[in-house]
Amino acid sequence: MTQLHARGLVKSYGPTPALRGLTLDIAEGEIVAVTGPSGCGKSTLLHCLAGILRPDAGEVTWRGHRIDTWSEAARSRLRRTEFGVLFQFGHLVAELTGAENVALPLLLAGTGRRAARTAALNWLDRLGVAELADVRPGEMSGGQQQRCAIARALVTEPRVLFADEPTGALDTVTGEQLLTHLVRLAGEQRTAVVLVTHEPRIAAYADREIVMRDGVIDHTGLGLDAPLAGGLR
Amino acid sequence: MSPGTLARLAVAGNRTDLARMVLTALSAALATLVVLAALTVLAIEKPPGPEGTQSEQYTNALLREPGLRGGTAFALLLLTIPVLALAGQCARLGAPARDRRLAALRLAGATPGQVTRLAALETGLASLLGALAGLAGYLVGRTLLHRPDGDGRLALPTDVLPAVPALAVVVLALPAIAALATAVMLRGVTTTPLGVVRRAGRTGAPRPWPALLVGLGVLAAALFEPVRESLGPALDAWLALVVLVVAISAVLGVVLGTGTISYLVGRLLHRYASSPARLLAARRLTDDPWAGSRTFAALLAALVFGAGAAAFRAWFQLRDQLEREQNQVAGFADFQPDSFYLRTMDLVDLAVALAVTVAAAGLIVMVVEGISTRRRAYAALVATGVPRTTIGTSILWQVLAPVVPAVLSALGAGYVIGRMLMGDIASGGRTEEVCRASAELCQDPVARQNYVEFVQVDQVVSAPGVPLGQLALLGGGAVVAVLATVGVGLLFLRSNTAVEELRAT
Repeated sequence: MTQLHARGLVKSYGPTPALRGLTLDIAEGEIVAVTGPSGCGKSTLLHCLAGILRPDAGEVTWRGHRIDTWSEAARSRLRRTEFGVLFQFGHLVAELTGAENVALPLLLAGTGRRAARTAALNWLDRLGVAELADVRPGEMSGGQQQRCAIARALVTEPRVLFADEPTGALDTVTGEQLLTHLVRLAGEQRTAVVLVTHEPRIAAYADREIVMRDGVIDHTGLGLDAPLAGGLR
Repeated sequence: MSPGTLARLAVAGNRTDLARMVLTALSAALATLVVLAALTVLAIEKPPGPEGTQSEQYTNALLREPGLRGGTAFALLLLTIPVLALAGQCARLGAPARDRRLAALRLAGATPGQVTRLAALETGLASLLGALAGLAGYLVGRTLLHRPDGDGRLALPTDVLPAVPALAVVVLALPAIAALATAVMLRGVTTTPLGVVRRAGRTGAPRPWPALLVGLGVLAAALFEPVRESLGPALDAWLALVVLVVAISAVLGVVLGTGTISYLVGRLLHRYASSPARLLAARRLTDDPWAGSRTFAALLAALVFGAGAAAFRAWFQLRDQLEREQNQVAGFADFQPDSFYLRTMDLVDLAVALAVTVAAAGLIVMVVEGISTRRRAYAALVATGVPRTTIGTSILWQVLAPVVPAVLSALGAGYVIGRMLMGDIASGGRTEEVCRASAELCQDPVARQNYVEFVQVDQVVSAPGVPLGQLALLGGGAVVAVLATVGVGLLFLRSNTAVEELRAT
């Protein structure tokens, strides 16, 4: 069943078009990889879908509600509750410990401090990094930071997780370990994942691969290696 | 690298670099103006004649009395403290972009020494431009303000010009000092082709030893009057030096103590933080408690001096009041005490207000720079749904939580030291000869004898009360200035949390 629906998305940065009338549906629990060359509009598409950016034209609908017309505060609330966002560099808050970083979205939602910490510890444990609870990001490796970032993105049990090159700063082995965790945990709670990447091996984890070129979808498929994807999962 | 290339690379950069250079130049221009004003006061020639002869060409007693000019010049020079602090804070503006630019230069083959020279030259050139602008402003200003009144007297010493070599030294020394200071500050920084590495600063919890400095200042101030009485006026010059050391000790204690205050406030806030904003603020305060010392140094210094001045004012006001009352008892109902010192305190208050304003300008730079440095983390938080108001509130907590106790400690230290230096007021204890007749009779030596009586004016020892109103105005004004600057700084939060920030590595 379609949860997130984008129709005719257009977005430009000054005279440079990034999206040129793109249409896309994301179903519940579906993992979609968005690939394509640099500058083809992958990240812009992700930002429009997540409500971070407003498209210049077209619409984004979440469970029947058009969200691109919502105020920024309303879209922020949506990202805090229904969506999760993950970036290439984790972007953890340097001054907070691992557990505090993971607990942050829950605290924002009004969860008590103790309950938020308990949930954060649980998620760190599920990602195999429980020992990072009281460690600052500056003392973590890139892979550890990214695991904390995944925990932070999933701690609110979002319906859609938007991941922008989540393994782009990691080595191949660490990146694949991370993806394995991400896909398993998302699958456990039926969270849809929109995964922007330019690495075919990463795209192979997806149910569906969308290849973009010059701001539009060039072609869609089960990824260039659906059997490999099945094998990796 | 040829000097031309060095100069061209030193002034290359983006809009933030340009803003940093403009602010640095502005600070240098202000500092030049203040130093030239002090030099001008010192350049006024002592009038010929016996001791106590005044320079009658000026309306202001601070300029007329040769004995007061040293103090006036010193007070003006003190104004350079917040101005130089502003320059120091400007140097941090756009630091991440500058770091990337310097790293790129290293990658292109520049040596570490060349990179240091580039950074120092940037500050030096901006300061030189500012100093020249300051000199031009001074020369134009002294022409425009040269307006003698009906008696041919001047409000400012616009008839005096310091020696040309002195002017040249000021204009050249300020940029040289600024460039040198930049080079010294870069000693703890290594610019590699892959980025800039800063040597770790002080780590661990700050100790409460800065309180000792304040205590030392208070103790020295308490001993000032007894020592002065026992040694007599011969050592007054040395005692003035002691007063200066006491003031510097107190300022240092308060400024460094802000690190301790920040750390303790951060721990308290962390223990009881129930919101993400307070949690973020608490962690930042305990992570880098010295940030408070750096940020508020100029403001706190101005408040220590301001509170000391408030104590002095209270003392002079009470002394005038006692003199007025005792003269009324003696029959001199029309007696009006000379309000010279109170007028002087008005000038000191004006200087403190100026210092607070300049310090507040430096705060804006610091707040904006803090936001700019963390912009990617902030942009990521906003992208994940964290409201900007949460980030703004955390910045507000981070600034205001330590500033309120720091302001109170600055006011307390300044007031207590000022109060101790001035001591209590002993007035009266004398016999007044009063002539109770018309002026004509009183001026006649024979007739006067019939109307003269002697009135005993008892000695009264009074302690001036705490000038709560003025202290509250000073502290409240400082907190409001901080609030306003944070408000202005937060205007930059939106642009610094734009999603584009996430695209840069």
